[in-house]
Order: sequence, then C-alpha cells, then structure tokens
Amino acid sequence: MRCNIICGGPAGQGPNFLARIISQGLVKEGYFVFCSREYESRIRGGHNYNTITFSDKPINSNASEIDILVTLDNLSLEFHKTRLNKNSIVLKEEQENISFAGRVFKLLEIDFSILDNELKKYGNYKENIEEAKKGYAKETRKLSLRKPTSKNKNYFMSGSEAVALGACKSGMEFYYSYPMTPATAVLFELAQKESMFNYKTIELESEIASINAAVGSAITGAKAMVGTAGGGFDLMTETLSMIGMAEIPLVIYLAQRTGPGTGAATLTSQADLHAARHSGHGEFPRVVVAPGDPKEAIEKISELFYLTQKYRIAGILLSDKHLAESFYCFDERPKIITSKKSIRQGERFSSYMSDNQKSSTQEPKIIEKISEEKINKSKFLAKESDKFETFKIHGKKDSKNIIVGWGSTKGAILDAIAGLDCKFLQVLYIEPLSQKIKSELSKAKNIILVENNSTSQLSEVLAEKTGVIIEEKNKILKYDGYPFMSDILVSEIKKRLK
Amino acid sequence: MTGIRTNAIPSWCPGCFNFQILAGVQNFLDKQLKSGKKKQDFGIAAGIGCHAKIFDYLSLPGINTLHGRVLPTCIGMKLANPKLNILGFSGDGDAYSEGMEHLVHAARYNPDIKYIVHDNQVFALTLGEPTPTTEQGFVDKTNPSGVQVPPINPIKIMLGAGATFVARIFANAAQVQEILTEAFSHKGFAFIEILQPCLVFHSDKGYDSRFYNLQKSGHNKSSISAAFAKAEEFDYNSSSSKIPLGIFYQEKRKTFEEIKSKKAMKSKILEELWQK
Repeated sequence: MRCNIICGGPAGQGPNFLARIISQGLVKEGYFVFCSREYESRIRGGHNYNTITFSDKPINSNASEIDILVTLDNLSLEFHKTRLNKNSIVLKEEQENISFAGRVFKLLEIDFSILDNELKKYGNYKENIEEAKKGYAKETRKLSLRKPTSKNKNYFMSGSEAVALGACKSGMEFYYSYPMTPATAVLFELAQKESMFNYKTIELESEIASINAAVGSAITGAKAMVGTAGGGFDLMTETLSMIGMAEIPLVIYLAQRTGPGTGAATLTSQADLHAARHSGHGEFPRVVVAPGDPKEAIEKISELFYLTQKYRIAGILLSDKHLAESFYCFDERPKIITSKKSIRQGERFSSYMSDNQKSSTQEPKIIEKISEEKINKSKFLAKESDKFETFKIHGKKDSKNIIVGWGSTKGAILDAIAGLDCKFLQVLYIEPLSQKIKSELSKAKNIILVENNSTSQLSEVLAEKTGVIIEEKNKILKYDGYPFMSDILVSEIKKRLK
Repeated sequence: MTGIRTNAIPSWCPGCFNFQILAGVQNFLDKQLKSGKKKQDFGIAAGIGCHAKIFDYLSLPGINTLHGRVLPTCIGMKLANPKLNILGFSGDGDAYSEGMEHLVHAARYNPDIKYIVHDNQVFALTLGEPTPTTEQGFVDKTNPSGVQVPPINPIKIMLGAGATFVARIFANAAQVQEILTEAFSHKGFAFIEILQPCLVFHSDKGYDSRFYNLQKSGHNKSSISAAFAKAEEFDYNSSSSKIPLGIFYQEKRKTFEEIKSKKAMKSKILEELWQK
C-alpha cells in the first residue's frame, strides 16, 4: 500500500503547516511517512506544495501519482491537474486550511483524537480545533486503506532537524551562520533550541565572518561549526584552505541547491560534490561525508566532530535541499560517537608555513616536513574512518546488478529497488573514499549510477579512486532541480538491469 | 614560551616604525605579566602584511590568520572565552580594503577587543601599491598616473559605525604603551589607528610638526559631534593640515559577548524529540 497526498497553496497560507500536521498524525497512527516540500523564492503568493507519501511499509521518497490533492487555491489545482487520475480525490473550497486536516483524517479513517493531540502542540489551538472538527464532520467518503500493523515510529524529522540535533549531541558549542537556503533551516532549528543545550548560534555579517569567527572559537578549544549553501561555501573556501595549513578542527554543513551562481535557490541538486572535495588552494586533508537520511545525518555529524577534533582538520557534511527540507521516519536510535576536544587555550596557529613556535618560515626542510605530515594525516584518516560505516550495501546482496548513489537519492533508490534483482551501494564517505568500494564494484557485472546532477560527479570520483568506469548509458541523471520519484526511477533502473 | 618575545629575528626593514609598535606592545605586555596576568590570558590575531610579522615576534597564544579576517577571528575567540584579553593587529590594507566589512560590523557589535591598525598608507610588503588611506597623486608601479580617488577617513568611519573607543596615535613606543593601557581599561571595541610611515614606500609628510594631542588640547571625548569635528581636521590627503592624536571618542555600551552570553529565550514549541 502506498498513498500520496499533495497539499498545495500560496506561500504564507500554510500548506507546509497543514502537511506537517497531517504527516505527524499519520506517523502517530503507525504509518511510515515521507514528506517533501517544494517552494518558490518568495514570501507570499505563488505555489508551494508538500508531498506526503505514506505506507504500511518503510517509505523514503515520493511517488508521482496523486491520491489526495488538497488545494488552498485554484493555482494548486491548475499546477497538479495533469498528474490527477480517475481515483484522485481533490479537496477544495474550505474556509480555513486546518479544516482540510479534518477532512483528510476522516478520509483516511484516523481517529480525531490524534489530530487533536497534534494541534495542541501549536498556537491558535482553539480556532484550529474548531476548524478541524468542521472538516472532519463534513467529509463523508472513506479511502479504506490498509491499516498499519506496527506502532508509532520513534522519530519523524527533517534532515535539517537531524543535522542540528546531531551537532548538539556531539557537543557543538558554537554555530556560526549567515542565512542561505537551504542551509537556513538548521540555523532556525538551532536558534529555537538554544535554551535546551549548551551552545550559541551566532549570525555575523557574512559567510566569511562566520567561518573566521568559528576559527577564532576553535583555537581557544571550542567545538565550532558553520553552515551554508554553495555560494556561501565559495566565500568560505579561502579560510577552508587556511584551516588546512593551520590545522584547526571545524565542521562545515554544506546544503546543496541548484547552481551554478544563484541557480534555482529553492530547488535541490547534487552538483557540489567536487566543490566539497576540491575547494581551497593547496594540498591538505579533509573529510567529506554525505548522509542519505536524517538518522545518518545525526550519526555522521557526530563522526565528523570526532574526526575533525582528532585530526584537526575541516570536515564537510554534504546535504542538499531535498534531504534538508524533507521529513523521514525511523525507529532506531542513532548512534552518537563521543569526541574529545583536541585544543586547549594557549596554543599558536598560523596560516603560514611555520616553525615549531609558529613563526613563518621558508625553510625547505620544514615546508617539506609539514607537507609530508599532511599526507600522513590523510593516511591515518583513511584508516580511522574505516572504523565507521563509510558505505552501505542495501537490497539483494548477491545480485550481479549494482546501483551506486550518494546523499539524498538514497530514499528514492531504496523505494525503487524493492523487489528488483539488484543491490544498492550507498557511498557515505566521499573523502576519504574506502578502498573496499573498489572490490565491491569489481565484483558487480552491471553498474548503474543514480545522481541528481548533469555531470555524474560521483562516477568521476569512483573512476579517479578505484579505476572503475561506469558506462554512459548506465547513468541515470536528473538535473531539473527536483528529486527523483521512486516510480519513475523504477522504470529507469529496469531498463538497465541485466 | 617563557619571555614575551619569540626567538624569531625580525625581518622588518632597518629602522621601520613597526619596531616602535612592537616595543610599545611588548612594554605594555611585560607590565601586564608582571602584574599577575598570564600569557594564556591573552589571545592575539594578525592579518597579512608587514604588520603581521608582529605575530612571529610575540610569544602569545593566537593565530596569524588571513588578510582582512583579523576581526571576526578575534570575535570568535572572545565569544568562546570571554575572559581572554584579545588584541588584534591589522595593516591599513588589511583593515580598510579586504577587512572593511568586518571593521564596520565589529564597531557595531562592540566586542571587548582591542584592535590596532598599523596605517602606513601603503601596501608595503607587496612593494608599494596604494591602500584606501593613500593620498591622491601617489605614484607607484600600478598607478603611473597617480592615485585618482580620495582616501577614506577611518576615524570618521569608526565614529559613524558606532565604535565605543576611537583613537589615533603615532608609531612611537611610549604612545603605543600608553594607548594600550587606556584601551584595555575600556570595556568594548577599541579602535586604535597608528600612523606608521613606511621608510621605503611612503615617507611621512612632515607629520612631526603637524601633530597635536587631543587630550592636552581639552577635547571632550564623550561628545560625538566634537569627535567628528576633530576627525575632519585631517583627511589623509592634506600635506599641511594639523593632525590630532589621542582619543577622539569613548562611550560605554553593552559588549557583544555580554549580549550573546545571555541565556536564550525558551522556544514555544519544545519537541519531545530533542529531549530524548
């Protein structure tokens, strides 16, 4: 069983809130729920929509069919009507958007008390509950879906919430950020939750100021982190290189959006993989990790705090708009790695090649030694990161077909391969890349690549690091700013299976 | 790190006024250490340029960071460890070109950090190009027709941006030591510009005979309009006007770290997830 609900409406009229209430109710009912969000770069008006996909089995992405379309305005109907089928239910003409929640709950035969409890968590309860009651009473149809057998899922959260939570649980003390979609959601989360943890969120005048202030905090011993999207990351890269020289621990959250330039500010993309790996002049070690869902985001960020502190390097958590803004549910408690701080106030650092008292030098022997130390650090780092899950194999483990992907495409790939004769190699650590990936790839007869970019950046990394070349015809690439839908991905994969 | 000096041999030109600044800073710090402060109680940051070599000669904790980024680095240090005495060093290129964005905002935030700008009115280490405080008509290899645009007046910019301590001195060890003593007794952002002629690329324009001391002349440093009037007297272009030195302006205002150390407001929606 799989059901898709779209809540669409103008920015500012609450399609996002409505979707959140419905999603949380579905989770409480025991369904597996995935909810993504599409919005425009505007504050009021236009067309924003959330797609809720739920099932009695684990679900990690949206599919393209529409079962229920909730329209807060006429534009919503216009926008989605080509995707409607004869069974689609369209809800329109309500006074207030919360009454739609009542109608949806009734359609899905979910007890009203669940909706009541959800609404209690937010403001305007009195008005909202009245509206919800009206909607619940008004709706007379039933979808008669299969009821979930499992209980309420423990966690339902977005990628951004997960990044923020993971950072807090890893002992982060300072988060410096300048607003930029889609990284801003982490700043929101952290600012909202500041009173519950021992950290500070600081907004300074630019991304350059943010990362340099983070460096200032880090050299006194604080665990610091910055967050940004592509353009802001570009501004930070001079300091990223400086960190490589001065050896300072820093966690960088990089949320990708459609580029280059300002690109499509509110759409998704996986086109900053090379930027994350190669930005910054000179040669220095770094870690680049790309979680595929919120649970992995929590776990990987704690590993990043561990590795960056231990090796005094920069670690980049690579996310994207789709992961940052989508809500996922999961049951298992994420594993947090505890990390020790490696700096105490009193040390000296320099962006120059410098001697042991940190005075700048042009002594060839010292420069050579420092360069070699950085290479050695990369080797230790590769060994140490192998302690963690640097990649995962999902699906039919003995299949000759292997799909390769990274980051937020994980959800659609997992949903697409259910029942197919293939396995999925999900790369988590892009840098350093585990050499075990090479043997996994060489075992496979047929390698299929899935990426949300136009130049297949992961395949280039794999070619460089493992020598494995993926055939052009086996590359499934999407670069229209939107994430993969699982049903469309299934047919693309099937065409390429052997 | 035992003494206040590292054993690095200074690479400034012989007779460079940076030696005066170093001596002033060193004398000030020696006194601080004698009165019970420890090296670990300090945090220093320097940018890139001739001024930044001072980092190599002072054996204090901190960082020789990038060109222009001294102030946010200092702010990060102060926020993470508000007990530290923070001293930032920049040149005029560092502070007024690449770092201008940070300078204006630092004045607005008012962190309790002391910021010294070694203003030699030229990019010296890159062999003599004009900076934002270089006078019109200045000729160098990159401007054979001479500088066409007028210089900025950093004192006016700092007054306008809300700096709570604005001073200008000459690169003389005694003046440096004295102004640092004043600045460290001020709780907030202290902007100290040091006019420091470059012996090779930008000699002084008869500065000695043009200086006078604001404090001795009865200037009211708590008046912003008096401060602006005094700042107007020297526009960094003129080769004849009087040049006031001393503290132009001083006021008391809440510091950035005081504001940021306040416990955050409790969010209205405390989700159960976060408490798990």
